[in-house]
Amino acid sequence: MLKIENLSATVGEGEGATAILHGLSLSVPTGEVHAIMGPNGAGKSTLSYVLTGREGYTVTGGTATLNGEDLLSLDPEARAAKGMFLSFQYPVEIPGVPVMTFVRTAMNAQRKARGEPEISAPEFIKKSREIAKVLSLDPEMLKRPVNVGFSGGEKKRLEIYQMMMLEPRFMVLDETDSGLDIDALRTVAEGVNALRSPERGMLVITHYQRLLDYIKPDKVHVLAKGRIIKTGGPELAHRLEAEGYDGVLAEAV
Amino acid sequence: MSTALKDLIRNPTVAELELVARYAALKADARRERLFEAFAQTGLPGRRAENWRWSDFKTAVGQLDTPKAPPARDPLARDGVSTLRFTPAGFVAPASLPAGLRLLAKEDVQAMGGAEEAPLGALAAALSGTVLVDVSAGAAVHLHMVFQGPGAINAARVVFLLRPGAQLHVSESHLGGAAFSTALVEFTLNKGAHLHRTLYQAGGADEAQAVTALIEQDEGAESVQTVLALGARIARIESRLVHRETGSKATLNAAYLAGAGRHADITTHVRHGAPACTTRQATKGAVLAGGRGVFQGKFLVPRTSGQQTDASMQHNALLLEEGAEVFAKPELEILADDVQCAHGNTSGALDGAQLFYLRQRGIPLAQARAMLTEAFIAEALEGAGELEEVLRHEAQAWLSHVS
Ligand SMILES: Nc1ncnc2c1ncn2[C@@H]1O[C@H](COP(=O)(O)OP(=O)(O)OP(=O)(O)O)[C@@H](O)[C@H]1O
Ligand SMILES: [Mg+2]
Repeated sequence: MLKIENLSATVGEGEGATAILHGLSLSVPTGEVHAIMGPNGAGKSTLSYVLTGREGYTVTGGTATLNGEDLLSLDPEARAAKGMFLSFQYPVEIPGVPVMTFVRTAMNAQRKARGEPEISAPEFIKKSREIAKVLSLDPEMLKRPVNVGFSGGEKKRLEIYQMMMLEPRFMVLDETDSGLDIDALRTVAEGVNALRSPERGMLVITHYQRLLDYIKPDKVHVLAKGRIIKTGGPELAHRLEAEGYDGVLAEAV
Repeated sequence: MSTALKDLIRNPTVAELELVARYAALKADARRERLFEAFAQTGLPGRRAENWRWSDFKTAVGQLDTPKAPPARDPLARDGVSTLRFTPAGFVAPASLPAGLRLLAKEDVQAMGGAEEAPLGALAAALSGTVLVDVSAGAAVHLHMVFQGPGAINAARVVFLLRPGAQLHVSESHLGGAAFSTALVEFTLNKGAHLHRTLYQAGGADEAQAVTALIEQDEGAESVQTVLALGARIARIESRLVHRETGSKATLNAAYLAGAGRHADITTHVRHGAPACTTRQATKGAVLAGGRGVFQGKFLVPRTSGQQTDASMQHNALLLEEGAEVFAKPELEILADDVQCAHGNTSGALDGAQLFYLRQRGIPLAQARAMLTEAFIAEALEGAGELEEVLRHEAQAWLSHVS
């Protein structure tokens, strides 16, 4: 279970630090998929970065644990080894590092941190091939440097490829649907659904109900002004799609 | 030593006096004298000379004592490739030479053009004999050269003539082992000749190294040069190239990695002395705290002879730690109007967003930094062909000690 309690965080250094999260609480039991929706600038990506340990974000209060273990005191790589995965809203280009090299290095680093043996080259290639097929990724693309020259949609698909390769225990998907065409949305959702399991949890950040038709959430949360202001079932996403945020924002006051 | 000799260099340092004494002990020779005088005009170049202010040999070259470090390993050594060895004790010729190649080692000195512009090259010539290598047309010829101590001074000179259509693949390892090493390597590329030069340099924290190359290219000749420099107390790899007939092409790439107590200088000077010639230059560097990188690149494109020049110069440096230093001076002197010249020069830290992306996937910080740095410099090593992997491996080994 991912358990976030009363989490507050700022972004920026010293005088320029701005408070973004204001006592945010949220729990995603293992095996469940929760969605987060909320207006632009509400702090959704900030939450994803605070959970994964990005530099520049300072936790000023509260806790976050995964299966009872504190996350916030760990380095980003240690959190990854514990199974935290972030599908980035804006995937980063890594010139000069081919996708396959990158993912294999990451996989073996995680395994090493967990005291597991490395994956063999043939095993890795087999797995990569299978996953590329599920996601309709051109195998040639996996020889290119990470995200360099990839289209917006290709970058998002590559995030899901990495996620399926690394098989994390908890996944945060930050606007994975933005930039995907209709077919890609379906393929990506199939990939994500394939990872749904009683051992995994998932937090899906999105602006559109459409994605949630494919990835059916157990719960939907509304994040506004740095905290969760409303939680409901899948019907909440439909309501937001129809009415916008004004209604729920007014209720919260 | 006569007063005349002593007065050759004004206010000489201990090392300069030692160099004068070395010169005085050699057989008198008018050419040798001319070259030593060319050196003596500046002496060991330092802060006061415009092209040397960031690489101060005068201060860095101290007592010329044999360094204590064990001999360095030569990563470019390969079985089956003839090897020329240049040591403080003299030149050692290979047991056999490949077909198409003739070698002549002379004790006397051969004249050198532009000696005043390359004082450490002139010094190398003045203190050594001349090894002449003649390469005739035909299949590509492979040759390896090692410049290594032990000793106080290692001065060497080798002169290559690539006949029309000749193809030479030469690798050079400048491994230090002497307090002061200076090598002069000259290449004349006749019409349509191809030169493939790969250079590795590494030296100790108490060693000074200078490698000066003079390259002249005739019509349609092509050279591809790749350097990996790990620096020394002070190390300079200088390449001076002249396109002297049309259609000549040159690629001058280099990567430098300078750790604590190491100084790596990549200096190039390219003269587009004929129309429609091409120069591609990419230099990448990564420097740690207490290390220093220097890049000086100059393209000279004269008004008439330089028309239709196509030239680009890139220098990008990574300052991996607080306290790393990089000095760069890209210089384009373009007097012709019908040219394509581009240049870029950056230096900065590793990208925080990239580092986080790697770490989020589980790659530990030190490894993430090494991966990004290797990727950063990789482009500069791509031209090394069959030796690219060897150079990358050396770069990786260097990077694995970075944390
Ligand atoms: N380095 C920074 N300095 C100051 N403010 C910042 C910084 N980074 C982000 N912010 C601010 O933090 C707030 C939350 O940003 P965040 O990216 O978390 O929003 P979001 O909910 O993900 O929005 P979107 O739906 O547009 O992706 C925004 O107002 C943003 O401008
Ligand atoms: Mg966002």
